[in-house]
Amino acid sequence: MVIQENMTVQKKLEILSDAAKYDVACTSSGVDRKGSGSGIGNSVACGICHTFSADGRCISLLKILLTNECIFDCKYCMNRASNDVLRATFSPEEICNLTIEFYRRNYIEGLFLSAGVLKSPDYTMEQMLKTLRMLREEYHFNGYIHCKAVPGADPVIVEMTGWYADRMSVNLELPTADSLKMLAPNKTRKNILKPMKQIQIGRLENKGMPVFNRIPFSEEDGYDTGRYLTTAAKAQTTSDIVLPDISDIVTADPSGSSFGLIKPPSVNRGFVPAGQSTQMIIGATPESDYQIISVAEALYQKFDLKRVFYSAYISINDDSNLPALTQGPPLLREHRLYQADWLLRFYGFQASELLSENRPNFNTLMDPKCNWALGHLEQFPVEVNKADYYTLLRIPGVGVKSAQRIVRARKSANLTFEDLKKIGVVLKRALYFITCNGRMMYPVKIEENYITSMLLQVKEKLPLGIEAASAYKQLSLFDNADFTSANADFRSLSQDNFLSGLGG
Amino acid sequence: MSEKKVYQCEDSLEGILTAVYDAWSSRNGHGNNEIRILSGDYQGNMELFTEYIIVKNSEEKISKVIKAVYEKISSEAYELICSAACSCEQSRGDDIYRFLIVGFSVGREIVDQLHNKYVMRIFELTRNVSNEAHHLKGFLRFQEIEEGILVAKIAPKNDVIRILAPHFSDRLCQENFIIYDENRNTAIVHGESKAWFYTDSSMLDVDRIKNISEREESIDIMWKAFFQTISIKERENKNLQRNNLPIRFRSNMTEFE
Repeated sequence: MVIQENMTVQKKLEILSDAAKYDVACTSSGVDRKGSGSGIGNSVACGICHTFSADGRCISLLKILLTNECIFDCKYCMNRASNDVLRATFSPEEICNLTIEFYRRNYIEGLFLSAGVLKSPDYTMEQMLKTLRMLREEYHFNGYIHCKAVPGADPVIVEMTGWYADRMSVNLELPTADSLKMLAPNKTRKNILKPMKQIQIGRLENKGMPVFNRIPFSEEDGYDTGRYLTTAAKAQTTSDIVLPDISDIVTADPSGSSFGLIKPPSVNRGFVPAGQSTQMIIGATPESDYQIISVAEALYQKFDLKRVFYSAYISINDDSNLPALTQGPPLLREHRLYQADWLLRFYGFQASELLSENRPNFNTLMDPKCNWALGHLEQFPVEVNKADYYTLLRIPGVGVKSAQRIVRARKSANLTFEDLKKIGVVLKRALYFITCNGRMMYPVKIEENYITSMLLQVKEKLPLGIEAASAYKQLSLFDNADFTSANADFRSLSQDNFLSGLGG
Repeated sequence: MSEKKVYQCEDSLEGILTAVYDAWSSRNGHGNNEIRILSGDYQGNMELFTEYIIVKNSEEKISKVIKAVYEKISSEAYELICSAACSCEQSRGDDIYRFLIVGFSVGREIVDQLHNKYVMRIFELTRNVSNEAHHLKGFLRFQEIEEGILVAKIAPKNDVIRILAPHFSDRLCQENFIIYDENRNTAIVHGESKAWFYTDSSMLDVDRIKNISEREESIDIMWKAFFQTISIKERENKNLQRNNLPIRFRSNMTEFE
């Protein structure tokens, strides 16, 4: 291990931001907090992007590691113990100074602090806590802080940290316990899920909500338990259909929090008020899209996560357990997962509606919502002037904003196709699925192959730079509209890569 | 037949509201009236058979219109026209006039009539203004000059500095800062623990703004270094970057110098 003495702060910043860049989350959203009138900083619920790096990703936070020294040896990670890279460690003062000076100049919304595991999980978590405390209490920083919880750290330190952070995250790293064992031998699923559960329970108790199975509640309490109970009830139904390899997430035990051991700091900003997030690496291991979104769904329902991030696997290390990527990171797949993630969180879809064990992967040619609609043509066309909000949301070409506008605008008028266009509905997609005042826009036959081929002619707006090149080669499939085989191709491709990585 | 009248007003919310009052009380028929904003060199095309009226701001007329908007429409509608008046669109004066004509006839429901073209137009203007203001909450950059004063220079299309002022005053309440709009020569000035004020920049000593503090350079360099290293080479995507961060903002951003 290479450790340099007397390194400048700038050099450290270069090493420790370079080492932090693979963490996806850079959001500063989820909490609205006015300035304190004395210190520095506030927080805006919608989040603010301060700049965009050359890869097009938003920079909102000073995203750094406290240290890139690490006793763990996760195969995919640049900072793993067995890699020969330059190592550096910030002092808490250095981090505080950087944060404040960057914040004053409006470069950032706040701090994103992660770390390699230095000496032990407890020691690392302590250093992070020390930094956050200093930033809040000595530098009076009132902006946004996102902090990692180190798996395996003492729950007491995790809880203390939670009083100073706005968001915390524990990375799931890989969708299943088996993959984790293979690629991150020092981490266990249990050590990851434990702090996640702890933070969830802490948040609920901090908000005055009784936790199921832990604190008996009575009607007299007057707490709003509705939300939590429905989540619990919902989760019950999903556990019936759950895939065996993610059952540990679905059956996570809600007991065992140590919450309440720590006295909140004098300025009480709430316990992890912006909630928690996590991230999974996509494409390093052979899980299907169905497994991945089922994991995400279980995390939203059982752990009340705010966000699950997906990170297309980037080949950094050579290791016999890692796939050899020939085409660069699987960005289109990552994009499809984010689209599906949105459907789970804002559109009222369930993972089992989008995919199944027989059809385990997303269509590369078409977004998940169009794909779903084509498989459920019996539910269309929808009358735009009558359908409820959630039905509107299921129409391809109608997003959250346009659905809200439709509901608002039709209070005072019967909407026409012209109105829908003005409202922002993408008619060239939606026209196959809707009627206005009982009539379709054109006479259209509601037939899967026909609509599929029409929709594929409307070019999907993919994020710039994501090539659907591999997908567009398969134009001949348009005729029979058997797009599941396109999926199969896509999968077997990465499967092959995976196997070749194994030397098989 | 009444002849066409064009009300030429000052480039401000006050000017527009006075013109609305004058146009309304002209009994000339709304269809024959137009409100035009006099700004800089732009005078618009002069037309034949048209009377041009220079509108002079009047406190009394302004407050009458504001009161009518509050009472006959809603406070939400008033916020919409305030924001629309900050737009850079030449037609904003007349757009507000048309919006108010609809508003006075339908009342508070107007904000739901998203299919009405005048209502939609106002939403378009306000969306544009608030989007740019939101962008600048992130993209604006302060530089520290001598005595620790923070100075930001921006060149927005819409007149957004008064929308930015409350945000930065809350955030940096302990700082002395100036936000300077170089297109309009206006500025927001905020003193430590004091309320902000809006001024034209004749009050500013622009040369002093250039005297950046000693440590400024080292912080700039660190920010640029961070900006470079945080990007992932394998995912490089300049098109996406340009889409998310339009070039026009970059001339005033440290990391693109």
